[in-house]
Formats: sequence, C-alpha cells, structure tokens
Amino acid sequence: MNRFALAFRLPVIAWQGLFFLGPLFFMIAMSFFLVKNYRMEEAFELKNWARMLTRGYVWDSYWYTFGMAGLATLVATLVAFPAAYALAFRVSEATRRWAIFLLIIPFFTSYLVRTFSWYVILAESGAINAGLGTVGLGPYTMLNTPFGTVVGYLTLTLPLVVILQTVALANIDRNLVQAARNLGCPPERTLFAVIVPLAKAGLIIAALFCFILSFGDFVAPYYMGGSKPPTLPILIIDTTKSGQQWPRAAVVAVMMMLTLFSIAAASIWLAYRKRSSA
Amino acid sequence: MSARITTVVLLGWLLLVLVFIFAPIVAAVVFSFNSDRFPTIPLGSFTTHWYDTIFADAEIGEAARNSIIVSLSTSVIATMLGFATAYTDYRYSFRLKGPYLALILLPPTIPLIIMALAMLAWLSWIGASGQLWSIIIAHSVLTAPFAMAIIRLRLNQIDPNLEAAAWNLGSSEWRALRSVILPFCRPAIVSAACLTAAVSFDEFAVAWFVSGLNKTVPVIILEIVQGNIDPQVNAIGSLVFLTSITLVVLAQVFFISRIGRT
Amino acid sequence: MTDPLVILSGVVKRFGDFTAVHRLDLEIAAGEFIAIMGPSGCGKTTTLRMIAGLEAPSEGEVRIGGRLMNDVPVHERDTPMVWQSLALFPFLNARENVEFGLRMRRIDAAERRRRAAEWLGRLEIGEFAERNVDTLSGGQRQRVALARSLVTEPQILLLDEPLSALDAHLVIRMQGVLTRLQRELGITFVYVTHSQSEAFAMANRIVIMSEGRVVQVGQPREIYRTPENRFVAEFVGRNNILAGTSRGDAIETPLGVFPAAGLPAAGNRATLVVAADLVEIGRTPSEGAIPCSLISEEFVGATVTLFLEAKDGTELKVQLPERALGDLDPHAGGDFHLSWPADAGHILVES
Repeated sequence: MNRFALAFRLPVIAWQGLFFLGPLFFMIAMSFFLVKNYRMEEAFELKNWARMLTRGYVWDSYWYTFGMAGLATLVATLVAFPAAYALAFRVSEATRRWAIFLLIIPFFTSYLVRTFSWYVILAESGAINAGLGTVGLGPYTMLNTPFGTVVGYLTLTLPLVVILQTVALANIDRNLVQAARNLGCPPERTLFAVIVPLAKAGLIIAALFCFILSFGDFVAPYYMGGSKPPTLPILIIDTTKSGQQWPRAAVVAVMMMLTLFSIAAASIWLAYRKRSSA
Repeated sequence: MSARITTVVLLGWLLLVLVFIFAPIVAAVVFSFNSDRFPTIPLGSFTTHWYDTIFADAEIGEAARNSIIVSLSTSVIATMLGFATAYTDYRYSFRLKGPYLALILLPPTIPLIIMALAMLAWLSWIGASGQLWSIIIAHSVLTAPFAMAIIRLRLNQIDPNLEAAAWNLGSSEWRALRSVILPFCRPAIVSAACLTAAVSFDEFAVAWFVSGLNKTVPVIILEIVQGNIDPQVNAIGSLVFLTSITLVVLAQVFFISRIGRT
Repeated sequence: MTDPLVILSGVVKRFGDFTAVHRLDLEIAAGEFIAIMGPSGCGKTTTLRMIAGLEAPSEGEVRIGGRLMNDVPVHERDTPMVWQSLALFPFLNARENVEFGLRMRRIDAAERRRRAAEWLGRLEIGEFAERNVDTLSGGQRQRVALARSLVTEPQILLLDEPLSALDAHLVIRMQGVLTRLQRELGITFVYVTHSQSEAFAMANRIVIMSEGRVVQVGQPREIYRTPENRFVAEFVGRNNILAGTSRGDAIETPLGVFPAAGLPAAGNRATLVVAADLVEIGRTPSEGAIPCSLISEEFVGATVTLFLEAKDGTELKVQLPERALGDLDPHAGGDFHLSWPADAGHILVES
C-alpha cells in the first residue's frame, strides 16, 4: 500500500477511532466504574448494573420509553403512508422531487425551536384551544400528556418517514402492479396484494429510523410530555447533570444501545428475509 | 369516478402532513413578530421588540459567535473526513473495508443523548472537555457521514477512466487528484460543507453536554426553554431557521438538485 | 371464418400529440396463434396493451367474445399477459406466483394449490414450486410466468416479447413449449415480437405493423414470399428491391429489363423484389446476367450472404448455403455475375 492511499485512510481511522469508538468503549467501561466522594474511580464492579437493574423506576422508564417510541412509530407509519403514496403515485416526478426537498429542510432546522412552537400552539391558552373555543369546544389539555409526547416525536421523525416511504414506493416496478391487475387483482386489493409487499423493506427501515430517533429523544417527552415518568434519555440527563453519577447514566445508555441493536437486527431480518430455497 | 375521489383524499392528506411539518416553523416566525408574551389567537400587534432584546443581549451575542466558530470549523473537518472516506471507498477495495466504512457511517444511528454522555465522559477523561473545540470534535464525528454520502454520490457520476487517463498522461496521484477529482467534486464539497454546518449549527444535546461554559445558540435556547415561556426563543429560533434553511438551500443549489437528474 | 374472438375496429391510440396506433382494424380468430411484428415503436405493444385493457383506446372499439370491452377494467377481462420482464412477484415463491390469479378470484386454498401444482407439473417445474423466483434460471422463470398466466384457463393469452431476454438455445426450447401448449389448449395466443424467427417459427398468421399501422396480414409464407409493400419487403427476409417502370409484361430497371407477372399498365411505376436466396451467382458472364463486384460478406452458421455492387452502384444481395459456395472464392477478387429465374421476381405496385 502506498503513501497516497494511507494518507486518506489513516487520518480517518485515527480520528474516528479516537473520537467515535473511544467514547463508546469508554462509556461501556465506565458503566463498571465506581464513584467515591463525587469522584469517579476506575474499577470493574457490577454495582452500578446491580443497582440500576433492580430499581423499579428504571424499568418503569424503560417500558414507558419503549411503549411511547413504539406508539410514535406506529402513528408515524400510518400517518406518513397515505402522504408517501400520494407522492409516489399521484404526482409528477418534478413535484415529487420538490416535495422531497421541502421535507429535507426540517431535518436540518432546529428541532428544539419547532418543539417550542408546538408547546405554545398546543398550550391550554394556545392557538388550537383558542380556535376550538370559538366553536364552543375545549379547552383540551394536550401538553404533559402522551399525546403531546407523540406530537413531539412526530415533529422529529415524520419528515424522514415520509421521505423513506416515498422512495420505497416510488421505486416499485410499475409493471408488477400492472401484472397484478392483469391477473385479476381489483384496485382495492392492489395495496395489500402487491404494493405493500414490494415496498416492505423500505417501510420497515423507515419505521426503524422512527423508533431509533424517538427512543433516544429527550426533548419531546420532557417539554411536551411532562416527563412523567421520565424516559430513559431524561434519566441519563438527570443522572449525569445533577447526580454526578456518570457510571449509572452509562448503564442506562448501554441498556438503550442493546435494545436498539436488537430492534435494528430484528427489523433488518424482517425487511430482507428471503424465503428458504429448498 | 371513485379513483378521482381517492386521489383528492390522498392529496388532501399529503397537504395536512405538510402543514403539520411546517406549522411549527411558520408559527415561530409569526410569533417572533407578535407583541404578546404568550401568543395565541387572535394575534397581538406587530413588534420587533424580541429581536431588539436579543441583539442587546451580550450572552446571546457570545453564543452566536461560538456557534459560528463551531459550525464553520466542524464543516471543514467533517468535509475533509467525508471526502477522504468517499474517495477511499470509490477508488480502493480492501479487506476490512466494511468496518472502515462503518467507522464513519455509524454515528447517526446512535442516539444523540448517548453520544453526548460518551463524548462528555471520554473527553473529560483525556482532559479535552469544556472547550469550544470539544464541541467541534464531537460535531465533526456526528456530521462527517453526511459529507461522505454527498461526496460519494458525486463520485458515482465520474467516469472511472478519467483519473487513470491523467496518470497515463504523466500526472502523479496527488496531481491527478487536484486537477481531476477535486474540480469534479467541487459542487458536492461545497454542498457537504453547507449541510454539515447546518447540522452543527442546530445540534444541542452533545453541545450542551461537552461545552462547559462555552455555550452555543442551541444550548442557550435549551436553557431559556427550561426556564419559562419567553418569546425571545421565537426570535432566536427564526434567525436560526433562516441560517439553516439558507445553508440547506445553498447545498441544494450546489448539488442535491443534480443528483436526482442523471 | 367463425365468429372472431377479438375484434379491434377503428382503434386509435394517442399519447398527447403522438399517435401510437392509427385506425387499426384487426380480427383474431379463436384458437389462432397470431404474431404482431414490427420494429420498436410501431405500435405492436400498445395494441396488445389495449386488448389487455392496460391502455384505453382514444377512439374505436375493442371486443372480446362479442362483448364491448372499452369500459371493462383490466382486472375483469381475463386476458392474462406474459411480460417482457416476466413481472414475477419477487415476494412470492414460484407456487404462490402461479396461485396469484386464483387467489384474486377467491378460490379456496386447497383448490389453488391443486391447480398450481398441476400447471407447474405441466410446465415441468414442479420441483421448483417452493423456490424463491430470484433463484430460478431464465428458462424456469419463463415457465413460472406461463403457468401463472394459464392457471386461470383463459380463452386468450397475450405475450409481449417474452423470449427477448433468453439465450438463443433457450429461445428455441421455449418456442417448442409455446407451440405445443397452444395446440394442446386450443386457445388464442397473441404474440408481440420484433423477431422474425420467433414469429415465423410459431404463428399461423402474422400481422406486420409500421408506424402505428398494419401494413400486411398473412400466413408466414405469404408474408415472406409475396410482400405487399416496400416496408414489408425490406423488413422481412433479405430482398433485392429495384424500382422501375412497367412495360406491360416486363419491368425496366437501371440494371436491365426483367420479365415479370402482375405488372400495372405500361408506363406506370413499379418495384421488382427478388429474394436474396433466389438469386443465382457465377463467375462467368452470361446473357442478361448483371456483373457485380463484392463489397462484403456475412456468415451466419451455414448460410452466407454476399453484398455486391453493380456497375451503376446499385447494391445487391445473394444468399446461399456455405457448401454451395464451391469454387466461387469471394476473396479472389474479380467480377461476379448475378441472375435469377423469371418467376423469382415479385412485383410491388404502390399507390
């Protein structure tokens, strides 16, 4: 291998090794460290793990986070699908490109500010309740509820889910849809007989991204959901910022990573599973 | 025709989804010019008061300066990392290429809060936390994959014989890189720099954890939001939107629009 | 002819400003193997898709079995098609692909399985029933596509260049399979292709299309030996085409005067067509023979085509078996002399 090739490879390996792998492995190691007199000490003890895994509030948080992220994934998938379907099958290619560009924008704009906007809009004296009030409805409590959390999660994930679903649907071979019609498939059955099976991999990957993003987000459950109970990311923040208990926070982080790896592996298996070739 | 009705319903739904996505962006801008402390319907009167207060605030000015330094530095480092990986992937095949690519592409699949904790712990351990450049290091890792993806897409479009032709005509590898590959990739490089700057400019979780006293704009927003309802957030937010959207549009103008067409 | 199964009358198909099919009239009999042939863009696939209902005619009527089909949606037509890309469903295995049409007709699972197994067996791919279609060879995939279309026992099967993706030796095999199936089932096959060899090998009747119009319909031999117009003469086979003027019982061309039958009244323009395989070639000059020099040659298996040029620049082709070359030795240089029997010529009269 010559110097030219190494000049491109080594700096990247060094940088990512030092600043990506380094932090991750250190965090895993840290979950076994001890804290004495507010100072962290290198050790290999299972105390943090034992403590965190036996606390009811940790498991409450875990299942609440899991459930809310799952709910957001379900809602995002169902809400995005008709929109993605419209973009894939009912508009011109130029319109589709424009729409995807529009959907990329929020991905790169401050999620924090968008959440704050929702907070103001959904508040009891906010715009939506004021609007409903004029027709004699409400006010409804939307903040500090699971509804608020899901609205927050969707603010983060919906554009990405729509984009990924649109790409999956637009890439379907139209001949296969026509072939289904030709073999007697009525219009109302094409969706589940051909379109969904053909786009399956893309739809699952979109849902997976939605789950990962929601599961790791602290803004929506904190500001929109009222943090009752706190989700795992909020637990990490509280443990790190106020308690100085970094090793315990690391335990929660490692739990989250293991969960996400399992979910990702299962989704990818589901998405790309091939039938056995007998 | 029922097909026509279905189409109308689908397009209507699409419109609602777009409204949901863009409502908070539009609302933040509208509220930032609204005199009410707690905006609702009907709106109060027009004011630039909130902008006046943030421009007068020294802490916000400091944060803006920090944000600009961080996002510019991040975009330079991340684009260099992205280019090196994209070029290596384009030109070479070697054992362990999979892990090599994973090393640069994986960070976005890990929740930011976990990256934040890991970065904070590691950087403090090696004595590099609490500085402006701590944020730059962390952000370069988080944003390099975006640069890699955009530059790699551009390299897909190059005629693979172009570089070999330059060597054949007597260029050294460095010379061919400078005179063939870099000019070809220039739009993608500019675009990658814009997008990585935009991501860095908006990132708050990792910045909040590792920044110490050197706050960036999103960290300030986070702190204000943790306090009370303060319409200053809308004014700062509108300016942040303006910056990010400008960067994304620039990226689009330079490159993304060309990927879709051959 | 008994009542035709398919009747296209005055069918026009426009895409925006482009007219793909102009006023097409065509009748297809029950039990016939008809090939629609022409260069790409001639409207043959559009015609097939209008029969299937995948395109709606802009004007005119499509009838199948006497019923007006214009407003019958695709899925209610029972006009299964074998696609150029095959269009097998990648998320279903071979058996499930075959069962698809039955499932859409809400036939119960046991019956579906039985009929799918029967058709897979009939096409000799029973052992691959549970295989993922991606893992099958081109020929096997082709058979799955056929079984999938035939399992509902339709009266008509539409085939859109189904063999174009196969290797040459598989094409011959599949031609045999298709001809046998069509004969055994006694149903109508409408076969669209740009390949002469496929059309001539299988069809009872051939429709030649050009630029959205039918230019000749006939049995394969008629089309081959008596083209009705210049397009067919150029498109089918290898023909020498000489424009000239009628003298009543002979035609005058730049290369000489040749006796021919079927000419218009003296003084009218006409075209003489002589198939390349009917031209005789020799080294010695003779009465009426045309002296030519060789430009190039083409060997396809045992058949040789020689491309020659007459003194005035007219290009002529001769086709002969390789073993008939004898001591002609194309590479030796010098002149060749071309002639043909008086009954080899065929006259085109174009309006």
